[in-house]
Order: sequence, then C-alpha cells, then structure tokens
Amino acid sequence: MNIIEEFTPLFAPKTVAVIGASTKGNALPNVFIRRIREFGFSGDIYPIHPAAAEIDGLTAYKTLADTPKPVDYAYIAVSGAQIPGMLAAAKGHVRFAQVISSGFGEVDEGKGLQEELASAARTGGMRLLGPNCLGIYTPRGRVTFAEIGPKEVGHVGIVSQSGGLGTDIIRRGLSRGVKFSGLVTVGNCADVTPSDLLEFYLADSQTKVIGMYIETAKDGRRLFDILRNAKAAKPVVILKGGRTQQGLAAAASHTGSLAGDDRVWVALARQTGCMLVDTLDQFIDTLLIFQSLTPRPQRPTQKVVLFGNGGGTSVLATDYYSRLGLDVTPFAQSAIDALAAMKLPPGTSITNPVDCPVGTLQQDDGRVAEKILDIIYSQGKPEALVMHLNLSAFVGRTKPEVLDNLVAAAMRVQEKYPGQSHFILVLRSDGEPGLEARKREFRDKAVALGVPVYDEMANAGHPLAALATFERFKAARA
Amino acid sequence: MNTTQDNPVTAAKRAGRNALDESAGKQLLAAHGVKVPQSRVAKGVGDVDAVMNGLQTPVVVKVMSPDILHKSDAGGVKINLRSAAEVKAEIEGMLNAPKIKGARIEGFLVEEMAPAGHELVIGGLRDPQFGPLVMVGLGGIFVEILKDVSFRLCPITRIDAEEMIAELKGAAILQGARGTKPASMDAIIDVLLKVGGENGLLMQHAADISEADINPLIVSDTAAVAVDARFILG
Repeated sequence: MNIIEEFTPLFAPKTVAVIGASTKGNALPNVFIRRIREFGFSGDIYPIHPAAAEIDGLTAYKTLADTPKPVDYAYIAVSGAQIPGMLAAAKGHVRFAQVISSGFGEVDEGKGLQEELASAARTGGMRLLGPNCLGIYTPRGRVTFAEIGPKEVGHVGIVSQSGGLGTDIIRRGLSRGVKFSGLVTVGNCADVTPSDLLEFYLADSQTKVIGMYIETAKDGRRLFDILRNAKAAKPVVILKGGRTQQGLAAAASHTGSLAGDDRVWVALARQTGCMLVDTLDQFIDTLLIFQSLTPRPQRPTQKVVLFGNGGGTSVLATDYYSRLGLDVTPFAQSAIDALAAMKLPPGTSITNPVDCPVGTLQQDDGRVAEKILDIIYSQGKPEALVMHLNLSAFVGRTKPEVLDNLVAAAMRVQEKYPGQSHFILVLRSDGEPGLEARKREFRDKAVALGVPVYDEMANAGHPLAALATFERFKAARA
Repeated sequence: MNTTQDNPVTAAKRAGRNALDESAGKQLLAAHGVKVPQSRVAKGVGDVDAVMNGLQTPVVVKVMSPDILHKSDAGGVKINLRSAAEVKAEIEGMLNAPKIKGARIEGFLVEEMAPAGHELVIGGLRDPQFGPLVMVGLGGIFVEILKDVSFRLCPITRIDAEEMIAELKGAAILQGARGTKPASMDAIIDVLLKVGGENGLLMQHAADISEADINPLIVSDTAAVAVDARFILG
C-alpha cells in the first residue's frame, strides 16, 4: 500500500466513529459531530457508547468493532485510561484513531499509559494520531475539529504538534487567504509522526506547499531522509518549537518532547532546502508566498524593486531587505532616463525605491502606475516587485477607484511580462475600522488573483527572502 | 577499510576502550583516505634509531597514554626535532615530567611535521534523534572563542561541503588574507566528504563513534593533513 492509499481514509474518510459523545449532547465529541455535519460530511457517523441506543439522532454502537462498516477515522475524547482497551478490541475494524485526550506522555505519570495506548493501537490494527491533540481539518473529506475554516480545498498541507496552534494556523491563514489541503494535529506522536504526514503531503497532488510545527522529531533521521530524497520538490516551511534551553523545557511539558539540538535544525534546513521560521506570523507569511507564487530556480530572486507611496517606509524597507540579503539597488541609467521623461511631479523618486506620493499616483485616476511599472519591468527587469500602498494617505484625497485602478494596472503589467517578476502587494493601514474593512476587501481580491498581500514591508521581506533561498537552493542543485 | 580485523574501531572496542588513541585515530583516517603525517611508534628510547630511519625531519614526538587526555598540557608533545638524539632526549625528559611519570605509557608517537598552512577543525557528533553530524571550523580562537563553525547532517554532498565552508564568518581568511597563501578548497572538501560523505567515516561507524575531532587539520595550498585526531566511542 502506498502512502496515498494509506492516508486517504484519514483525509477523506467515508465513515467516522466518535467516542465520548454524551446523550445530553454537550461534550466535545458532540460538538465534533455537529461541526462535521455543518461542514458537509456526507459519510456515516457512528457514535460509540456503552449504553445509549442513540446519540444526537444517530444510532450508537457499543464498541469500535460493532459498527456496520469499518471505521476510516475515529475521534476519541474520553478519559485516557479506558482508551487502550477500546483500541485493542477494534479487531482491524479501524484505520485511524485520533486520541484527543491528554494525560499521557506529556506528564510523568502518563508515560506508561502512552506506551500502552500505542501498543493497543498496534493490537487493534490501526494507526494512531495523538494523544493530546485537537483533531484534523480536511476540507476534501469535510471533516474538521475547528469552529471555522474554508470548505474550499487549497494547496497548503499542515502538520502541527500543537492543537491550539493548529487552530491559530487555520484562523489566521483564513484571514490572510491561505487555503489548506489538510491540517493534522499530532500532539505527542505516539504513533503517527510529522514525518509520516510530510511523506503524504509530498506525494499528494493537491498539496503544493507544506508547513510543519514541530517540537520534537523522535524519528529525526527519517525526517531528514524524507526531506533529502524529496530534493525540495515542494517548499517545506518548518516552525520549530523549543530551539532554546528554556523553550525546550516548555516543549517537554507541552507534548513530552525530548531535548533537541538546534544546530541540527539549522543544518537540516540548509541541506534540504526547507525553511526555518521563528514565529507564527512568519510561518503564515511564508506559506502564503509559496501558495501564490511559483519559485523560479532558473532566475533566483535577488533584485527587488520597491514601488509605492511612503518615502521613509521605502528607506526603512531598503535597509531591512538588504539585511535579508536582497538587493534594492538603483536602476541602470536607461530606466532612470525613461522614468524621468515621464515628468512626474516633484517629490517623486525614480531610482529604486520608486517613491510616488499620492499626488503622483492619483494622476489619471491611478492609471499612471501602469506606465511607471511598464518602464520598471521592461528596463529594470527586477526578479521581484513589491508594491506598497499606504491606504491612510489616500483617504479623503482621491476617488475610491484610484486604489482599484492602481492594483488593476499592476496586474495588467504582470500579464504583459509573464513569468518575469514576482509581484507582491503590501497594503498598509492604521487600524481604523473603515480602512481595515477596505483593506480586507482589497486583500481578498488580490489574493484571489494569486497576489500575496502583506500588512507591512518587513512582513513581506521574510517570505521574499525565503523564496530567494529556496530558488537558490534548487538552482545550486539543479 | 581492508578487512574487519584492520578496523581500529573494532579493535578498540574489543580491547574495552572508550576512545581511539591518536595512533588508532590516524589509522582510521588513513583507511578512509584522509592524509595523516607519516608516523611510527617507539616503545621507548631503545627503538628511536630504528623508528627514525625513513622518517623525514623535523619530527614531533607525542606521548601515548590512556591516562593523558591533554598531551600538550602535560608536556607530552615536543615539536621540531631534527635528529634521533634530540628525540631520545625529549622522551627521557617526558618520562620524568610530573604529569607523565605516573601514567600508563604505551609508547611515543614519532611523526613527520606537516608543512605550514591554515589550521582547521573538522569534527563529528552523533545526535540521538538525527544520527551523525559533521562540523567544520577554523582552528584556534575561531572555533574556541568565536564558535565560528558550521554543521551538516551526514551524509553530505559536495555542494553541502562547499556551503559549509562558505558559511564560516572567517571563510575569507582561507582565500589568503594579509599575505598568507590560500588554503586548498578542494582539499578541505575532500576531507569533509571522506569524513561526512555518503560512505564516509562517520556514516560507516555511526553505531560506534559518538564524537570525532580532527584538530588541527593543516591545509596548505595543495593538501590537507590531519595532524591530531580524537574519536570517542559509545
């Protein structure tokens, strides 16, 4: 059985068993039943209960071995001690069991119980996810533990050792336009590890980008071998928890993770081409860039043009990008001459960064941007263009359509020079509710067109540098 | 490796040792194609004439003892010796040195001195979750004080080796700064691959070697020679 066949029952289960739902309908597993129904799960749901005949209007069964059809996915949230016996009695009737309950390897007194659990899963003939996790979010299978999450099947595959962080990833991802091919929380990893899911996502044609939150890799050598053999076929972004001594202690009590050597993770990233990030925001930002843009190893990103309104912002961004190893350097004379010939109003800077105050950008209702960008693309030939608009500066000074025209103009130039430059949009705002609403509307439009949108120049810098690193890695090993 | 019997790791394990002594460490390196200085072992002053025959001077003499970890600190290393008479005199001196007198002495390693060059360190360690890693750094204060080193998981490729060296903050020094000759990049990469590459020393002995330290590796503009090496077993 190949990895896709093995994990399809998890990502697209036809039957789901639920242990821990109460007849009163208020336990976490009852909520899970409600959520997957709302999410559009159309397969069979089997509540497992020692006494009840029916739960939430569904026929209940006494054990996992009693269900009419074999169980693809079992969601288990009851007190830990009784679970091993339930799994062991499943008699090959269950493919995947996810144990949400905690009180296992993350605490000293639960370490024995965790071993018992893993052994029971083997006896029962199933793969085990968790314990101490939250569940799965799989839009293709219409199963979710999360309160919100798009139904649309995206291209970003996630495995997270933390359940709470998994929820954050879905929620923040959603607000940023990241769409997932799946998200699996694995908690203490008594059986299924991040490496297993990495292997699945690498083989899964729906997944283009992989994100992992890892606290420990018990099977580190295997993780390395999988990444090495993958030869950076898909971008892999790793958010590693426990990179400092203090962080390691926190990880040990969170998911029972053992000490790890940070030098290993740096080495792993450098020699397999995966990208190590430090914060949840960098994680989402980096996933977003790879979801939206296709890496170009044949022309690794180096030369970046900044175009927008905000002189100080441009200068600060130039510093920031330069520290990240990107070049924001002035154009060749031919490009400067061509831009000078446009006779833009005073206060406009045309060397790169190209700083255009609102007065310049609103000329011709924003269509001036098309002419400027045309010159930048044809003469400057950057590998990436970051267009930044400070929305606050437009308020009350321009017609509302100017912003739309600016972005539309940029998109037209993109189309005219296909495959030439990565295009990134930074929409800067100040938190004022009306402006935020406008920004959201704008962001959604742009992301739908495949343009990654960021809140600040620095937020765009990290993912852009990650993209450059990934492209250079592939180029050096082509 | 020629045969298992020749394997210094197996031999040391059989003898119940938890480390390879310098001579065994160099045998292991030589068996993997890493250049080590020509050397012979003298049991005592009696064999010095025979041992010196065929070695190029100047030589260095190092005490061999399982009880002495830091040979230089104990006064157990004497360099730049140009004759058998000088070697004998230094061995006699060592036998009376306070930190050597009481130790179990297995002999004296008499070794040709490596030509001058850049001092590097190549090391290895075994991570419990990821297995063997290989490390490279510039020698002396660079590695000890500035921790200017880079790591990779074994096995490494040629590109990995190149990137490891390029990543060092002091990499420019190897190109030949302030009138020094450049270090041979090919020679460093070659040693890195023989130690940390696909069929390298650390991969082959992953189950037995927990730590490796080639320090210094002297790299001239044409060659790299492992002048001292320590391997911890376990």
